[in-house]
Amino acid sequence: MTAGRSTSNRAILWLVVLAAFVVLMALASFLTSGDKIRGLAPIAVTAIGLIGVFVVYLLTARSDAWEVGTRQVVYMAIGAALYGVFNYIFNTIPMPSVSQVALRPSVCIPVFFGYVFGPVVGFFTGAVGNILGDFITGWGVYPAWDIANGLMGFVPGLIMLFADKKRSLNFLTGLVAVLIAITAILVFLNPRVPGPWTGEIEDFSFWAWAFIVGGVVVIAGRFVLEQASVDLAAINLWGTLGIIVGIGFAAISDIWINGYSFATAIIGEFAPAAGPNILNSMILSPILLAAYQAIQSRTGR
Amino acid sequence: MLIAWRYRERDTIIQRLDPRARILFMLAVLFSVIQFWDLRIELVFLGIAVAQYALARLTWRETRRAWILVSFIILFMTTLTFLTGRGGVEYAYYEEHLIRRLGPLSLPIVGWQISINITAEKSIFAVSQLVRMYTITIMGLTIPYTVDPSLYGATFRGLGLPDKFAYAMDLAFRFVPTLGRDFSITLDSQRARGYEVEKLSGGIVSQIRRLAPLLVPVTINAIVGAEDIIDAMDLRAFGIGPRTWVRQLTYRRADKALIAAGVLIFVASTVLAFIGIGKLWVPDALLRLATTS
Repeated sequence: MTAGRSTSNRAILWLVVLAAFVVLMALASFLTSGDKIRGLAPIAVTAIGLIGVFVVYLLTARSDAWEVGTRQVVYMAIGAALYGVFNYIFNTIPMPSVSQVALRPSVCIPVFFGYVFGPVVGFFTGAVGNILGDFITGWGVYPAWDIANGLMGFVPGLIMLFADKKRSLNFLTGLVAVLIAITAILVFLNPRVPGPWTGEIEDFSFWAWAFIVGGVVVIAGRFVLEQASVDLAAINLWGTLGIIVGIGFAAISDIWINGYSFATAIIGEFAPAAGPNILNSMILSPILLAAYQAIQSRTGR
Repeated sequence: MLIAWRYRERDTIIQRLDPRARILFMLAVLFSVIQFWDLRIELVFLGIAVAQYALARLTWRETRRAWILVSFIILFMTTLTFLTGRGGVEYAYYEEHLIRRLGPLSLPIVGWQISINITAEKSIFAVSQLVRMYTITIMGLTIPYTVDPSLYGATFRGLGLPDKFAYAMDLAFRFVPTLGRDFSITLDSQRARGYEVEKLSGGIVSQIRRLAPLLVPVTINAIVGAEDIIDAMDLRAFGIGPRTWVRQLTYRRADKALIAAGVLIFVASTVLAFIGIGKLWVPDALLRLATTS
């Protein structure tokens, strides 16, 4: 009880510190037209993101999804070790690749562990697994990519916050529809912006239509997959969202950290990483889930 | 498959430092270096990173693979940023002085016209970006080679991670050799059945699907085996009280000095950036080149 209270006090203290920091950043930005906070802007955005996650946590604090007991600790460790080992192995042994799509199947591990054991296990599996993989291969430490890999496991785990998988799919469908609508409206309202390649003003209204078509395909895909199985639709859609959020986070943070242009972040990082990862995850995660469910029903655990 | 850690016991100044102090210093340098685009300041940070690397006494032989891969990524990304216009953040530079214009080049198939403006600002930005990325990389690169894997649990506990998470981290590091061996056994078993991982045929979907005979048995075996570990830990009342660690970490004078240096660097960088020092610096020679061409 005391330990729980002290954790909660510490969490509130951190939240207050973060909130104060964001207020100070906002004030600095307001007083200096944003010019003098340059390097601290990413920290402020990260802090706002963390506060957002914390608010979601507070609203759903009673859910089993956030429980961390012995079971979760062991699955976190196993998930992270598996992800690290697979990352190392599939980066080391010669693997076939089709066109530019390298076969890196290990991405299904954080998605699967998040989906089955919850967001905390998923985040730990992705983040620590990535650290482990980089340690074994000797590539160093990249905090933004560690968090990105964590998010790839965290997001699929959020399915545990819903009463059932069908409701989670309805929520996702609604979310996709709203996000696409907002993006398309924004593009239609302001279609002429500087192009990433030329820097000259170009008309981007085509992309609004591309978003709308993409959204319709995703929503239709949900219903097609659901015909086969709700689990298949759920792990694929939540997994895909996790990969987009995770890789998107890394690509955007690299604009600040490494100074990439927006085009570099999208063409050089987001597309080549997210595309193959989504494909690998959509094929392997359902196979892993089916094998796990078979074992679960056989052992009764 | 034998999985070996990159860590080797070396009697170096870097390895004698507390890992917590080193991680805090690395983060302080990371958050400092990203506040500047001035090449002269970036070079100071590169100097700090190179000094740390030199003190770690790593050999080219052990880090060669990492260097090749990292250099390829850094050069590719820097070139791509150079070709795709204004890099980083919008306010890195506003005005551009043209040195040379290449193109317009016509892309095959799509027929898009692309022209590349080589400007003084863009060129110096690319050099600064290169230096910044190498600084960040070198700071992180030494960690796997110089921090003992058996200390990670205690290190992150010491940095404020709750007991359960720190223990999970410790456990994950211990599972790695076992899972590497399990993977090896599975690979050999599947090969004995005629499975050839090097010669997967078919389209991309079927090729990915054919990796399942390697991935699924190792993962499911690990999960099934986890039940015994969970039972054993529960029987020993895991998580009831605070944990103790076999190897305790204590800050010494050098560690405190390193943390203080990290804090000082971060505070100084933030103040300098706030008063407007450290924006993109364009050498006069480059500007002269722009005006004469």
